[in-house]
Amino acid sequence: MAVSASIDALATRALAGDRRALGRLLTLVDDGGAGSADVVRQMAARAGRAWVVGITGVPGSGKSTLVDALLGAWLADGRTVAVIAIDPSSPVSGGAVLGDRIRMGANAAHPNVFIRSFSARGELGGLSRATLAAVDCFDACGFERVIVETVGTGQSETAIVALADTRVVVCPPGLGDDVQAIKAGTLEIADILAVSKGDLPLAAQTAAEMREMLTLRRKNAASAWQPRVLAVSALARSGIDELLAALDAHREAMGVGRRRVASAPATSHDAAAREIASLDAQGWRDRIAGLAARDGLCQALGISVRDGGPGRAAVAMTVGARHLNFNGGCHGGAIFALADSAFGLASNSHGPLASGIAAHITYQVVVRVGDTLIARAVEVQRSKRIGVYRIDVVRPEAVGEETAVSSFTGTVSIRA
Amino acid sequence: MNENEAPSPQPSPAGGRGSDFRPRVLVTKIGLDGHDRGSRIVAAACRDAGMEVIYTPPWQSIPAVVKLTMEEDVDVVGISSLATDHLIVPKLMTALREAGLGNVRVVVGGIVPDNEEKLLIEAGVREVFHPGSTMDDITTRIRDYARESRRAAADAEVKT
Amino acid sequence: MNKPIDPTILTGATSPARERWERDYGADIGTDRAVENVSGIPIQPLYTADDRAASGNDDALGYPGQPDYTRGIYATMHRGRTWTQRQLVGLGTPADYNQRLLGLLDRGATAVSLIPCNSVYRGYDMDSVEPELLGTCGVVVNNADHMDRCLEGVDVGEISCAMNDPSPFTLLAFMLVAAERRGIDWKRISGTSNQSDYLSHYVANHMFYRLSLPGARRVLMDHIAWCRQHAPRWNPMSVVGQHTQQAGATPAEAMAFTLSAAVQNAEDCIARGMNPDEFLPRFTFFFDISLSFFEEIAKFRAGRRIWARLAKERLGAKSEKAGRFKFHAQTSGVDLTRQQPLNNIARVTAQAMAGIFGGLQSLHTDAYDEAYATPSEAGARIAVATQNILREEAHLTDVIDPLGGSFYVESLTDQMEDKIVTIMRTIDEAGGMYKAVESGLVQRMIGASAMRFQRKVEAGEQVVVGVNKYQAADDFANRPPVERPDAAAMRRHLDAFRDAKAARSSSAVAQALDGLTRAAETARGNVFGAVVDGARAGLTNEEICTRLRRDLGFGQPLVII
Repeated sequence: MAVSASIDALATRALAGDRRALGRLLTLVDDGGAGSADVVRQMAARAGRAWVVGITGVPGSGKSTLVDALLGAWLADGRTVAVIAIDPSSPVSGGAVLGDRIRMGANAAHPNVFIRSFSARGELGGLSRATLAAVDCFDACGFERVIVETVGTGQSETAIVALADTRVVVCPPGLGDDVQAIKAGTLEIADILAVSKGDLPLAAQTAAEMREMLTLRRKNAASAWQPRVLAVSALARSGIDELLAALDAHREAMGVGRRRVASAPATSHDAAAREIASLDAQGWRDRIAGLAARDGLCQALGISVRDGGPGRAAVAMTVGARHLNFNGGCHGGAIFALADSAFGLASNSHGPLASGIAAHITYQVVVRVGDTLIARAVEVQRSKRIGVYRIDVVRPEAVGEETAVSSFTGTVSIRA
Repeated sequence: MNENEAPSPQPSPAGGRGSDFRPRVLVTKIGLDGHDRGSRIVAAACRDAGMEVIYTPPWQSIPAVVKLTMEEDVDVVGISSLATDHLIVPKLMTALREAGLGNVRVVVGGIVPDNEEKLLIEAGVREVFHPGSTMDDITTRIRDYARESRRAAADAEVKT
Repeated sequence: MNKPIDPTILTGATSPARERWERDYGADIGTDRAVENVSGIPIQPLYTADDRAASGNDDALGYPGQPDYTRGIYATMHRGRTWTQRQLVGLGTPADYNQRLLGLLDRGATAVSLIPCNSVYRGYDMDSVEPELLGTCGVVVNNADHMDRCLEGVDVGEISCAMNDPSPFTLLAFMLVAAERRGIDWKRISGTSNQSDYLSHYVANHMFYRLSLPGARRVLMDHIAWCRQHAPRWNPMSVVGQHTQQAGATPAEAMAFTLSAAVQNAEDCIARGMNPDEFLPRFTFFFDISLSFFEEIAKFRAGRRIWARLAKERLGAKSEKAGRFKFHAQTSGVDLTRQQPLNNIARVTAQAMAGIFGGLQSLHTDAYDEAYATPSEAGARIAVATQNILREEAHLTDVIDPLGGSFYVESLTDQMEDKIVTIMRTIDEAGGMYKAVESGLVQRMIGASAMRFQRKVEAGEQVVVGVNKYQAADDFANRPPVERPDAAAMRRHLDAFRDAKAARSSSAVAQALDGLTRAAETARGNVFGAVVDGARAGLTNEEICTRLRRDLGFGQPLVII
């Protein structure tokens, strides 16, 4: 078929070093048209040498400046580097302003750098898959290093960064509430924690606090890598060498190609586990939606599935008359039910039966008729018997903004 | 396939994200001027119209624009020009063609004297938007040009 | 014979006459419309004495020349000395500029203002730039010789000059060297480093030199200190409101941002050990005048009042002179249209009047063809004539603050004052103007106002004659082609420049560049002093800027959508 043949031709040219072809290929792979699945497999087969570094940080954390400094150092070393910059999309229009690349100033012009921007398009699972495909393309085409950079606001970004070999979380100095939130969400995944604007005195303090938190949380003393905390100042050009050394040390200890190992099926021969391991984004969505379809309360309250994945679920509900309390506001029980539905779906996504044994919710803003609420569940911790989940309930507002409505945490007991 | 539609990708087992047509638009300024009130408004309007916008600060060099267009697979390049920076747009057109990006549509917005608008069109600029153009007009046209650009790219690829 | 007026108009008390007016108004008006000015203040159909009292402002309206200067900063204002007609001029080669300038001076302009080519702003010389872009919006002046040629036949010891030039102020340096060569004592030179405010340039992304923000801050302070010592009649600080208003800020926002920037710069001077009573009298302001007629008048009157208070209470100045709000204003370019351009003459006239009633000290009127070209000879002439007509034929200089006492204008002045002060408080809470600009807060506010205005125009709520209403078939194709600088003359200018560069002693050049570095490296060095020395040694604009960017940091533009 003509279209398929042309994507093959593009792939061949891209592998031979044609940058224009690579740019086109990335689009066609992202769009997922005819022939792209084959190309993705082709690229994946040739991938495995690149070192993938994931970098995330909230807006204003100084992440982009740091990426620029890393780029500068690696380019000076003669490395070829690809950068995948991911920006959130407007939940209303689906459009996005992709602004990360411009912060890479002069380095963006270097011939050994290739920068590609993606918008999140509001689809967690799809974006992970698209990023994975793009990383494989860059890897196959010979880029030695791939930086995946996201604006970290929570679970969607951590999912993306999770496919990296080395994960860096950038946080701004400061001991306020926003920093507490960062700690809660991202300490789980950081291999290296960089406190930016290291020239400010507050940075050293923040770094010390972070180290303390890491010590308390140390999960596995036997692990080959203990997360490191550094203060970095791109402005004063200090701490960059230490960051580079830490990155190299992590690569030495843990190797590259982690994303390929992570997506391999579990050692169990269980057919269900194999089936789950072979699911793609749409498959996961269908699976989670299937669970919800059997749920009487979801049907009764009009709760629909937006997305789902292993240990993740996003559900939505539009507040109608049946959800209201006697004061005319949304009934707390309805919000609880929404969050709890996400909780149940996420905790049961892996297969084994998970039953809720404790849950707690806070209500933060008034919710009214007509509001659409989205509940997103992520897995905070899971062992064989116990799982802990965090669910954020939000109300999308205008472009790129969401109001936090409720915070829910829940614990399940898992039947072996 | 309808003549006027860009080829719409089939949902694939790879779970591609391409079910919506999202034009990729570059909004930038080349040359010496820095006034960007208009270009920021256009960028926001394109985003609100569902497009993916790559926005750069002013003073981009032509080679930087070409590299960006290639890496980001931009469909439409929008040049904002207040003073006289449009005078080097023909150079940009040449540079894009030489880099194999002849399918990319280029539009110019801002203050362009009428006698110079002709020069731009002759050099291959798709349209010049003057002050008084509405955001709806601009985003609608850009969407049309993005379709043209994708079709042209696909045609060129089938031939090779 | 004077008719008695209804006393309730003065007291605002409800009277049968007032009630009757309200009834008649309600009956006749049909569907009334809510009116809001650009800054968001609701506008009534009628104002009485009641309205001023309602704003809680008990201060008696003072006299011109006395704090708080609401009615004017001088006792005589335009009646004593008319406003300076300071047309911004810049195009082509120095010879082209000189010819245009002398023509304008002949026809009534009373001061010099020089706009350099955008390449100069960016810190480039003409041999680094695409030739098509040279001299199209300003004059190409890269060294002291060029400046000398620009000002040939102009006595800079007598006539006030404005150099439109932010950090590191190479244009002024070139001018000082040219004056020195003519034997003119720097202590006689008067004028302004127009638009020397690095904060407004940064906000509106005009960061022309792209010196880092801290670098630009340092050089400005050095500049102010140096001028105080060596050119005491020169105004080194021109705080700019025009950039932010042209970028979309409302009039109240523009005034608030400007005053906040002035406070920031003043506090920086104080931190450096300067005395506010000495440096504040040399602070000037540069504003936009939009078509929102009464709003602009109120904006300027409120600005004067607020500044007088700030100088004394916040900055600790003791002399009255320190609180005098001196400003140059330019009619707003974004209000002009490409469609039916002759209409722009009417627009500029209204804008100019608002500025005059607002008590400006110096005025630039745009040419009607500004909307689609650098002004033609004819356009520039009409712009100057407009000012002459307003002064000589409409007699606008006969009475000081003629709208003072108007119920509407006084009430609106009070309300604009409140709005401006509220916005300034937001800036203060963000840590002051420097921090607010660094973090992007100001840019976000401006972007939101710009978007709001755009939506109003597209919805037809804000009419733009000839564009969204009252359109006529414009014959765009038959417009006269825009004048562009003569390419041959520019090439000759370029060749001469290259020759002059090559003829210099390379050791003198190296020494002068090192002088810049030495000044930049030590906190006690004066970078602007080193720039003047460099200009004398024949350094070019690009050489100076490149070296300073290396030493003081290269700025990155901040983009907020």
